Amino acid sequence: MRRITIVAVLAIALTVAISAISFTDEAGWRDGGGSAMTIREVVGLPSIAIGTNYEGTRNPLLEMYVRPLYDIPGGYDYAVPSSFIGTPLGIPAYRETIPEFNITIKKG
Amino acid sequence: MTLIRRHRNLFKYSLDALGRYRMRGAVVVVTFLIATTMISAVLFTKDGLEREAEYSVNAAPDLTIQYLKAGRVVPIPAAIGEVISGTEGVERVLMRTWGYAGIGQYTFTVIGLDLQGLDLTGGAMGAIESGRFLTPDDAGTRNIVIGKLIAGMLDLKTGDDMILLSESVEATRFHVVGVFSDQSSIYTADMIIMPLEDANAFFNMPDGYVTDFAVYTKPGADAGEVASRMSTIPNVRILDQDILLRGYKAAYGARGGVFTTLWTILLAAAALIAFSQAVVVGHESKFEVGLLKTFGFSTLDIVEVRLIESLIMGFFATSLGMLIGYAYAAFFNAPGLVDILLGWAFLPKEFRLPVFVSAESLLSIYAVTVIPLLVTTVVPAWLNAITDPEIAMRRGTA
Repeated sequence: MRRITIVAVLAIALTVAISAISFTDEAGWRDGGGSAMTIREVVGLPSIAIGTNYEGTRNPLLEMYVRPLYDIPGGYDYAVPSSFIGTPLGIPAYRETIPEFNITIKKG
Repeated sequence: MTLIRRHRNLFKYSLDALGRYRMRGAVVVVTFLIATTMISAVLFTKDGLEREAEYSVNAAPDLTIQYLKAGRVVPIPAAIGEVISGTEGVERVLMRTWGYAGIGQYTFTVIGLDLQGLDLTGGAMGAIESGRFLTPDDAGTRNIVIGKLIAGMLDLKTGDDMILLSESVEATRFHVVGVFSDQSSIYTADMIIMPLEDANAFFNMPDGYVTDFAVYTKPGADAGEVASRMSTIPNVRILDQDILLRGYKAAYGARGGVFTTLWTILLAAAALIAFSQAVVVGHESKFEVGLLKTFGFSTLDIVEVRLIESLIMGFFATSLGMLIGYAYAAFFNAPGLVDILLGWAFLPKEFRLPVFVSAESLLSIYAVTVIPLLVTTVVPAWLNAITDPEIAMRRGTA
């Protein structure tokens, strides 16, 4: 097979491959989330675990609505100061002053 | 039969032309490859995040009831739950206490569940990698189930103990009875789930107060109507699934939109490069087109040749770009690009970015890459083809 023919064959093969991925994803989406849905239904917190270092993004649905609607001015949003300024628990020097505290204390 | 042979010959001629003008082909393929790789990584990730958010919102309670005081969200008295339960159309009301706890520089989500009221028959065990999920007997025992992220960071396993410091600087020891699986990590990675009583104690909630209520309506009842019946209850704010979903989509859609705008500019530049290449080669191919017409090629044949060339180049570059973008996002968490979508958020290595190749995104990317390429190459070819062959050859050699 000529080299340039391979490009044509690859063009078709790659298009089929990405279309197959899309088809599989779409079919999975219609499936409704499968077993992963159960834990979401049990917990009921409508959010995903993205942005764990910023409280507002862990639950954008609740916190973000609070901010524009009710909290300007006044600053209810404790998430912002805690993210920017930090809390005592976030400072290693502070944590180290707590006797024998090392997060995990006993292995089972 | 003659017709098929004719098209086959034109196809072969197109392949020869691709080989002959390989520099033009390489420039077009590389520019489109870069553009489609970047946009597909972002679009597929945006779709994935939206899909995961939609899963979560669909699984969320029909209504979430918060309590407002002076316009601010504060803990809600548990007694209001009885009033809400009595509202027409309400099937179940669950108390919930949730908040955040810091370990080092990271913040994790602590959720206290009302285990007495939970329906565990669906089997939350499917999301557990080791150990077990909580049961009503765990109330007050400080037993917890943790996400894979926390387990990985603290090297915790089922059976271990861990200490969390609360905002009131009280250390509380918890016992890990289960660890969530990788499959559920997009939802559970940063979660610490404990009985409601333990969460209330940990957050030092006033007696008889919780964070919010999860309200489930009766089958067939309209959540909006049920919510409107609660409007006379003082101080409550009611959020329904629709408002939450719109919030999510707005958040990720807006961030994806910024990138899409930038990418559109990049694509315009790529199309210009393709056009510029077509014009340069067009000058060389003028002689060729004139010669072909002299040999009996029709205008349509010449357009077909260029069309086949562009289709091969366009589909090759775009499909390859999308596959690379998919792999970049799905297997490497799209370093660099993903920051655009997540803002201040970070992605721990413990879980994979949700990537979803939607048919809509796929068609959109093909539409904005292949069609402009067709236009920028076929139009100059058509203009050459409708010129008198002798003039075309003279211009080609000029």
